[in-house]
Amino acid sequence: MDDEAREAAEVMTRYCAGESAAFHRLYALLAPRILAYLWGLIREKATADDLLQQTFLKVHEARSAYVRGANPIPWIYTIAHRTCLDEIRRRKRSRVRLTQDGTLAAEPAADLTGSSAENRGEPADREAANAAMAALEHLPDNQREALILTKVHGRTHAEAAMITGTTPGAIKLRAHRAYVSLRQMLASGREKKPA
Amino acid sequence: MTRKDSDGELGLDIRGGLDAAAPPPAAELLAKVGAMKAVRTRGRFAALVTVGVAGIIGPIALLVLMPWRRDLGALPPAWVAGAAAIWFGAFAASLVAALVPARGDVLPSAGRASGAAFAAVAALAVFTLFGSVEAPGVSPRLPPGAWPLVLSCSRCIALLLPVAVVFLVAGIVALRPVLPMGARRIGVALGAAGGAMGGFVLHWHCPLAQTAHVALGHAGGVLLAAVAGALLLPALLERGGR
Repeated sequence: MDDEAREAAEVMTRYCAGESAAFHRLYALLAPRILAYLWGLIREKATADDLLQQTFLKVHEARSAYVRGANPIPWIYTIAHRTCLDEIRRRKRSRVRLTQDGTLAAEPAADLTGSSAENRGEPADREAANAAMAALEHLPDNQREALILTKVHGRTHAEAAMITGTTPGAIKLRAHRAYVSLRQMLASGREKKPA
Repeated sequence: MTRKDSDGELGLDIRGGLDAAAPPPAAELLAKVGAMKAVRTRGRFAALVTVGVAGIIGPIALLVLMPWRRDLGALPPAWVAGAAAIWFGAFAASLVAALVPARGDVLPSAGRASGAAFAAVAALAVFTLFGSVEAPGVSPRLPPGAWPLVLSCSRCIALLLPVAVVFLVAGIVALRPVLPMGARRIGVALGAAGGAMGGFVLHWHCPLAQTAHVALGHAGGVLLAAVAGALLLPALLERGGR
């Protein structure tokens, strides 16, 4: 276990022991990245915020299922992933959400990383990052999940497999395919752009 | 936190923003945290013990109450012991993979569970196809034709599947609070474990030792139980959870 996992395990143990300060530390430690992950999957800021709260509510209710001393980070990602899938299924059932005037509800454009527009660095970097985000939209869901977990959130293949409920081999393959597709999409985008 | 993509191939910052500001915890969550009490966390083997104990009661009762196969004394003791070990090993490997997280993890690995289950089912299929042994003149033989084979297999599967269902139900009860992903793969392993335990019971009870019967009625029953697990668990474990 690395330092981050050790700290998360120690904080989670104190949280399970009833220390509310430990909950706030865990939230501070993990909420930003869980939010970024949810945002990457659902691509709507308001929904991602809501799913983040639902995720931590579920963590709170399921905390007795925590294995003392284990790394809670992949588990909390898994709960976030499940929560997001439940939301996507719910939406598929209800199909579309309309506003009061009968139009589709507008959501702010989301980006993969959860960073706001003003925090995205130099204009050239921002443009390139925007191109990557746009390209990601075209990837199949399972490839996008694998890419986000391994390349963006730095999860190992085994952890990403646990989070998404598949095998490390499948994650490796999906992330590789996503990466190749993304590279091709970005390369073709650069070629089309005038010098 | 601003990092380039780990391989550097895209030359893009696709890892930035992980420290984006999250909203504060919601009032409902804060109220629950404020009112919380210490909880007893679980051990890595808690689900295994729960499911193992719940599932093993039926097979023990069957082994005690039902008559053992009449050709048992005429079969080579080493084969009897070896076959029992293979059936029990398939059960144990599948159940452990389905329920026990690796050291340092909270959740069992769905990939490892399905891998163990496929290996167990394959081992049982190979064993029943190539390792079945009869005691000539003592082990009963089926009359020729497909119908007697189908009837005998269905009787054995009817004994095996309820054993497997208990493991599936107990597994759902034990895993539901843990909120794992990959319920289909875990269901395959739980079904295979329960089916293998049913096969273990049949190994001591069923005197029909012909390859076709053992492969279809016993190993085939394990496969059916694994498929049942794959179909049932996603519906009961992942959806409508907490």
